[in-house]
Formats: sequence, C-alpha cells, structure tokens
Amino acid sequence: MAEKKTTREILQEKLAGRERTPLYNPKAVEKLRSEFDQWKNTVVREQDRKNWYATPRTILGSEVPRDMLYTPLNNPDFDYMEDLGDPGAEPYTRGIHANMYRGREFTMRQLTGFGAPEDTNERIKFMLGQGATGINIIFDLPTIQMYDSDDPISKGQVGWCGVSVDSVDSVDLLFKDIELDKVTSSLVTHYPSNTAILFPMYLVLAERRGIPWDKITGSVQNDITMEDVVRSGSEYIPPRACFKLQCDNIEFIRQNVPRWNFVTYNGYNLREFGTSGVTEMAVAVANAIETLEEMVRRGHDVDWVAERLAFFWSPAMDFFEEIARIRAVRRLWYKIMKYKFDAKSPRSMWMRCHIQTSGISLSYDEPLNNVVRAAYEALAAVLGGSQSLHVDSYDEAYSVPTEQAALLSLRTQQIIQNETGVIEVVDPLGGSFYVEALTNEMEERILDEITEIEEQGGYVAAIEKGWLHRKIGTYSYREQAALESGDIKLVGYNYQKSSTPLPEIDVFRYPEGVEEKQIGRVKKLRAERDTQKVEGALNALGDACKKGVNIVPYTVDCARANCTEGELWKVFKEAFGLWKVPSYW
Amino acid sequence: MAEKRVKVLMAKLGLDVHSRGAITVSSMLRDAGMEVIYIGNAVPQEIINTAIQEDVDVVGVSSLGGAHLTLGKDITDLAKSQKLQDHMVFLMGGVHPPRDEAPLKEMGFDDVFGPGATQAQIVSSIKRDLAVKAG
Repeated sequence: MAEKKTTREILQEKLAGRERTPLYNPKAVEKLRSEFDQWKNTVVREQDRKNWYATPRTILGSEVPRDMLYTPLNNPDFDYMEDLGDPGAEPYTRGIHANMYRGREFTMRQLTGFGAPEDTNERIKFMLGQGATGINIIFDLPTIQMYDSDDPISKGQVGWCGVSVDSVDSVDLLFKDIELDKVTSSLVTHYPSNTAILFPMYLVLAERRGIPWDKITGSVQNDITMEDVVRSGSEYIPPRACFKLQCDNIEFIRQNVPRWNFVTYNGYNLREFGTSGVTEMAVAVANAIETLEEMVRRGHDVDWVAERLAFFWSPAMDFFEEIARIRAVRRLWYKIMKYKFDAKSPRSMWMRCHIQTSGISLSYDEPLNNVVRAAYEALAAVLGGSQSLHVDSYDEAYSVPTEQAALLSLRTQQIIQNETGVIEVVDPLGGSFYVEALTNEMEERILDEITEIEEQGGYVAAIEKGWLHRKIGTYSYREQAALESGDIKLVGYNYQKSSTPLPEIDVFRYPEGVEEKQIGRVKKLRAERDTQKVEGALNALGDACKKGVNIVPYTVDCARANCTEGELWKVFKEAFGLWKVPSYW
Repeated sequence: MAEKRVKVLMAKLGLDVHSRGAITVSSMLRDAGMEVIYIGNAVPQEIINTAIQEDVDVVGVSSLGGAHLTLGKDITDLAKSQKLQDHMVFLMGGVHPPRDEAPLKEMGFDDVFGPGATQAQIVSSIKRDLAVKAG
C-alpha cells in the first residue's frame, strides 16, 4: 500500500520546476555580496560580527534567530510574482483582498461575557454604541463545559468569567433588542460539542424572531483542539467522536446557514496554553487539512467547505515575528489549497483570520503596561492583515474587564484604524528585506511541524497519542523557567520592577444574584415545557449519535423543544463514551 | 533518616478550563523534589476526599474562573470539619482581584498566589507553611 504523501512532499512535487524571475539583478547581488563582506569586516565591530545572530526572547516566542541586518542577500532569489504577488491575487502573501482595509476595515470585535444574559446584553449594547462593529460572546464555565446552571457541578461558577446560557430563552435575553440580521455575532462556542448544542439555540432564536437563516452572519469556534487539548475538564468524549462533531457542525452550517463561519481554527488558545507561534499555526493548519480530507470523504466539494474556513491567531510581543508568520501562513494556506486540494475558488485559498492579542503576555504587575503591550500586538495584527480583531484589556490578569478597560481596548483599535494611517496602504511592510526573509523562515518552520503531525498519522492521532499535550507541558515549563531566570524580560515584573507602590486599578465587580436567577429560570423552563417533546428530541439525538449520521439537525430539534444544554451533553457522553485525557508530562 | 517527600495535591477548581498554571506549578514542585498528585478538575468535596485518601501535606487549588471565594470557602469549611487545617497546608493560585486575597486567607488558605509567582516563592512558602503547621 502506498504510504500517504505528506503535504510538504505534495507541495514540493507540484511546485518543482516553476520558473522564477529574480527581482534583484544578479549582477547587483554579486556586487552587494562583496561589498557586504567588506562592510562586515571593516565597519562592523568585532563584537557584532561574533554576535551577528540574536534571538529575541519573548513570551510565546518561536526563538527564531535574527541577523543584525537584512539585505537582499538574505533573499537573493526573491521573485515578486512568485513569492508575494499582488494582494487579492495568488499567492496572497500581501493580503486576501486587493484593497484590504480600504475596502473593508477590520471588524472591531471585542469579547463580552459575564453574569446573566441581560448583564452581557447591556455590555454588548454599550460596545456597539461606542463603535464596535462586531459582537463576540464568551460563555461562563458551566456553559462552556456543558452543564446547566442548576447542576451541582456548576455551583459557585454561574455567570463568572463569561455569560450563563442554558437554553434558547437565555440566548433570547442575551440578544434582546439586537437585530440578528443586522449584526455579525461571533459565539465563542469553543468546542465541537458545545457548538452542536449552543449554536442551534441561536438558530432557533432566529426562527422564533422570523429571521431566515440565510440572513444571519457570524462565526462559531468549533475546534477539537479546544475540546480535547486546551481545555481542562471533568469529562471528555473521544477525539474521533469530537472530530466527527466538528465536521457535522461544519456540514450542517454550510448547508443551512450560508453566511456563517462554521469553524475558527485555533490558534489562539493553544498558543496561550503553551506553544510557540510556529506550533500554533502548524496545528491549526493540520486540523484544517484533516477536516477538508474528511469533508471530501463525505462527498463534498473542497471549495464548498474551504470558502468559509477561518483561523484564529494570537500575536504576542515579538513584533516582526507576528507580522511575518501571518503573511507566511497566508501564503502556505494558498499553496495547500491550490496544490494539495486542487481548490478552484479563490475564496478557498484565502487564509481569513480573527486575531486576539495575547493574554498571557500581559502582566499582573503594573497593569497599565498592558495597554502598551496590547497596542503593539494589535498593530502587528493589522500590519499582518487580519480581518477581525480583539484587543485584550489591561486588567486581564485580575478579572473580566471593567467597562473602562473594555472601552480602552476598543479605542486602541479605533486609534489604529483612524489615526495612524496604516490602513491606507496594503501590506505596508511588503518588500522589507527583513520581513520577507522572516516570512520565508516562518513558512518553512510551520511546514516542518505540519509534517511532524502528519508523520504521526494526522492531527487526531497526534491528539490521541498525547503528543501535543506533552509538547505543551514542556514548552510552558521551559517558558516559566526563562521568565524566572530573566531570560525573558517582562517590564515591571522581572525587569525594572517599580520600587514605589503604584495606584491600584479598578477591578471588575460581578453583578449579584446571578446564580440564583439562572437556577430559577432553568427550573421554571423545565416545569413549563412539553416534557414529551423534550424526551422525544433527546432520544432521537441519542439514536442519531449511535447511527453515525450528522447529529446537528437533531440538536436543532432539541433546541426547539427547549432542551437545556446539560441534557444534550449527557446524551453525547452516553453515546460516545468517555475518554481519559493524556498526561501533560 | 531520609526526609519524607512533601506530598502535594494539585487540583483545578470546579469547572475551570485554564490549566497552564497548574501544570507548570506541578512541574515546578516535582523539580523541587516534591511528590505531586495532579487530579485535574474537582469539586470541593472531591478535593478534600482525595486529600484525605492520599494523606497529602499540601492542597494546591488553581482557579482562574472567578469561583475562588465561593468554592474556596467550601473547601476550607470541609477541611475544618475534618480537622485537616491542623496539619495540611491549603494554597490558592490563579487569577483573583487583589481585594480577595485577605478574605481567602481569612477563610483558611495559608497562601495565595497570582500570575507571576515563581518556583522559589511557592516552594519556600510551602516549606514555611508546613513548618508553621508542625510547630
């Protein structure tokens, strides 16, 4: 049996023999080479010659060494059309659209979520009123982990860290006075499991409000990485079942909600958990590759799915690494879609992404420093060409953001968009000797790690084997050691720590009585709904799970019958069984 | 006589999904020569039951989800009812507003750690807290 070719092998084959037309005149390059050597030996200090390569040490960095200076010699073979192309044209390195932000500004999509649905509803309205252009909802831990507010396991945690949702009624309150067909809503349903449960609630809400599903726009996360690798939880279903749900969600949403982004590959949370920027992208792309292979196996056209795929990245503090790798993965994604999957639609070849500035790069000490950090990270995201942005607030290490902190995050975006002028020029750093060399380097490294994943039998296999869990355990511990030794500097924490006490910041106070309120509501719902309908819907879902068909039409029916989230999670657990998560050590 | 290794129970509080800190601290403590039993997510009753079962010296609780006061109190109340406070050290780590540190200590946590706590700080706090309990 022929061994499956890696993506790298396929790309190498298909791209071999493509004609290259170097932009730099070879004569000029030769001349530069001898002049550069002379310069290095006469003008440059011996110390700098010896330490020509320096490796920036930052939180979540990829430890890529940098030259002291970049010149055409770092990329003598540079071919504008082959390596960059113009934006909106293959290979899309410079951007997925010709006009980028002149045509469509990046969506300012700040996360909101705390307390009861009406509490978050207020904050959503506040943010929209202040100029946010997208909604981005984060759920509380019981909702994320799929337990009802009145489940004993949810005690003390309802409405903390995110908004509490149990049923369609909760979603109705959450989106009170908000016209679903006039906004774009990102529902951060991290997992395939909770996406299959929660997104149908949003769909049923639209139904009840008389809004057809082809009029709503937004996204869900729906990522196995979140459910089986990045999450710490009490109960897990096996990776293969989780991956199936991921694909079921994609299939159903693609078929029935045409303007909805059905997956946002991680990315962000994985990297925050403890991997480099390279691993972050390799994992997300490997996940996407495996998803597309499965969708093709299910009989779908690759373009049909790929046109709406999206990614979710986390820029940390190595400014140029962040810009370079976003460009790198955009070019790499194009190559994979065109040459591995034979995609025909340009949309399939676009690496569309949402970016959230890194949370773990922020500090508890001197929290106002975080305003600066997040601003630089946001700028890197924009210079890299992100479609949508969330800026972490300066009080992240303390609690959910206060209104003031959330507003400042939004203002950071607005200042970039309206005052800096950077959005007027597409891919402003294109052509930089440094950025192009680093983009090439990042692309190679990302592809290296994709190959590593493929050699294990694919992404789901890598999860099952615990490869990624252990990688995270190692990386995060090493990074901690580097922080403690001062190898990685964090201003105000281990470098230039203020000796005078600084004024304390305002820390968010949660609304009172949320848990009781939510418990009361869910109990009332259970008492008032049609129990026969509920049972019927849950049983049908259980059967569907066992039969191996797409389960989402059944979870939609459950939402219609006013089933609660915990009730569906119970069905999944019974049908798929539980999985013991691998060790991080 | 060889010194008995300090035995630490590390738990994620309730449904909190964020385990990077707990995993990192577990590695730190192992490197410092302690025995670490990492149980992942657990509710207060489970944490106390395991602490008793495993006869640990230290109970380390990690919470970034905001439930540190509510569920934290359940832990310390249960500990008191089982008279564990006499010999077991209880630690709370994670993300908490500064104003919650005093209440946490008052309810029975011997030490509270936030983002940025180092291996040296945690290890020396454990040793000090154990000495206080013993003496």
